[in-house]
Amino acid sequence: MNAIEIERLWVKYGNVEVLKGIDLEIPKNICFAIMGPSGCGKSTLLKAMNRLLELNPDTKISGDIRLFGESVFRMDVTKVRREIGMVFQLPNPFPHMSIYDNVAFAAKCNKIAKNKKELDELVIWALKKAALYDGVKDRLKSKASQLSGGEMQRLCIARALALKPKVLLMDEPTANLDPTAAGKIEELIHELKREYTIIIVTHSPTQAARVADLVAFIYLGKVVEVGDVNEVFERPKHELTQKYVTGRIG
Amino acid sequence: MLRELKNKIFILYLLASAVLILLPLAHILYSVFAYGLPVLIDRGLEFLTSARPGGIFPALFGTFLMVSLSSLFGVPLAILAGIFIAEYPRSVISNLARPLMLIMLEFPTILVGLFVMIILVIPMGTFSALAGSIALAIVMLPYVTTYTEQAMRSVPENFKEGAYALGLKRARVVFSVTMKMAKRGILTGMLIGIAKVAGETAPLIFTAGVTWRAAGGINEPTGAIPIWIYYLIQQPYANYHEIAWGAALILMLIFLAIFLPVRLMMVRT
Repeated sequence: MNAIEIERLWVKYGNVEVLKGIDLEIPKNICFAIMGPSGCGKSTLLKAMNRLLELNPDTKISGDIRLFGESVFRMDVTKVRREIGMVFQLPNPFPHMSIYDNVAFAAKCNKIAKNKKELDELVIWALKKAALYDGVKDRLKSKASQLSGGEMQRLCIARALALKPKVLLMDEPTANLDPTAAGKIEELIHELKREYTIIIVTHSPTQAARVADLVAFIYLGKVVEVGDVNEVFERPKHELTQKYVTGRIG
Repeated sequence: MLRELKNKIFILYLLASAVLILLPLAHILYSVFAYGLPVLIDRGLEFLTSARPGGIFPALFGTFLMVSLSSLFGVPLAILAGIFIAEYPRSVISNLARPLMLIMLEFPTILVGLFVMIILVIPMGTFSALAGSIALAIVMLPYVTTYTEQAMRSVPENFKEGAYALGLKRARVVFSVTMKMAKRGILTGMLIGIAKVAGETAPLIFTAGVTWRAAGGINEPTGAIPIWIYYLIQQPYANYHEIAWGAALILMLIFLAIFLPVRLMMVRT
């Protein structure tokens, strides 16, 4: 079964068409990369999946997105966002909360844990999953703003995992990190895709090649090519894809 | 040569302007301390605690009572209004409220007093601490609302998006994330609003009344420090003027006690 199915998705900001009839099928427990040059609509596509686009009242959306067969537009929006977690380009842990509270807060609000003991266990589990626990276990009560960029991003991953999502969206998660921190996030993606479906947006073809199983190349709001990562990089079917992966557009 | 001279004249001109605008403030501070401090030293604590002529206890009590009550009425309302305007910036109410708040910031406060007199003092048949507090709350509203709105809007969008992406409902995002992150700005607005009304005179004339006695309840007329200064300074007796200076120093200390933390907070951000 596919984790995500997107059917004829059109998105407009005011009068500007950003996505023009996207069709995609994303199987479960893989890492699916969406690549394309800046402004091609990849982040918009990602934010359509967890209905975050709807925060902007100027957005018009048509078409359908299904999460394991169920239309996200017919589900309760908070449930959609719980089941489809998201990590952003700029690490955004809540600076006024401790490391512990950053992970525990949404889990508590969404009643994922029944009591304090369960919550403690959940926080530790999520931090371990995000490969952050060993680095922060002695300072769980200190402010999240004291972490490094890479640690903050892993905290955001832990925060999303604590909600037990089925799908994890990552919007250029390493764009603001140094190469070492970026490498750790990529390692983590390899770990996490065993249990979660990961959809990552990247403007770097090399990153897509490193982390993804399947890739989609998007250009000017349309899907140009989708396929196995090796296929797309070694034998692209479309001339535009060829130009993109060889660095001639983007 | 000429260029250098021009440059020096220009800098001198800037310096003179800066000194000129500081002069009145320095003079106010100086005279309030110079005339007020001897009164406080001379009369001691009794100046603050005595309800007999010569002490300012009724006025001090009235000011604290009305500033507290007006904060109680005004602050929560203003914060909620500021949040609404920040969260629903394009609603009809927000589009009306935003310019209205800016007008209210500059509004002649005596008209606020007049308004409260018509809706409260006349029906009640008496000046009262309650009417004074409501007038002060109205004066306070635009400060707290405007600061709250700006503080809420200054929280970067990506934190709000991050909170929504965690499946949180709007109220939760607003109160547990945005408002917490905007805390400092909101607090600044609160203190500026409170400092502003602590020194207000005009809106109290028609609402709290000009009385010498301490209010027995919120439905009775009450004195307030600014009003008391206004009254005393008009009397032809030197000892009345002395009390007025002492009261002025107390008023300034109250104002500074509220305002200085605000400045410190702003400097730290």
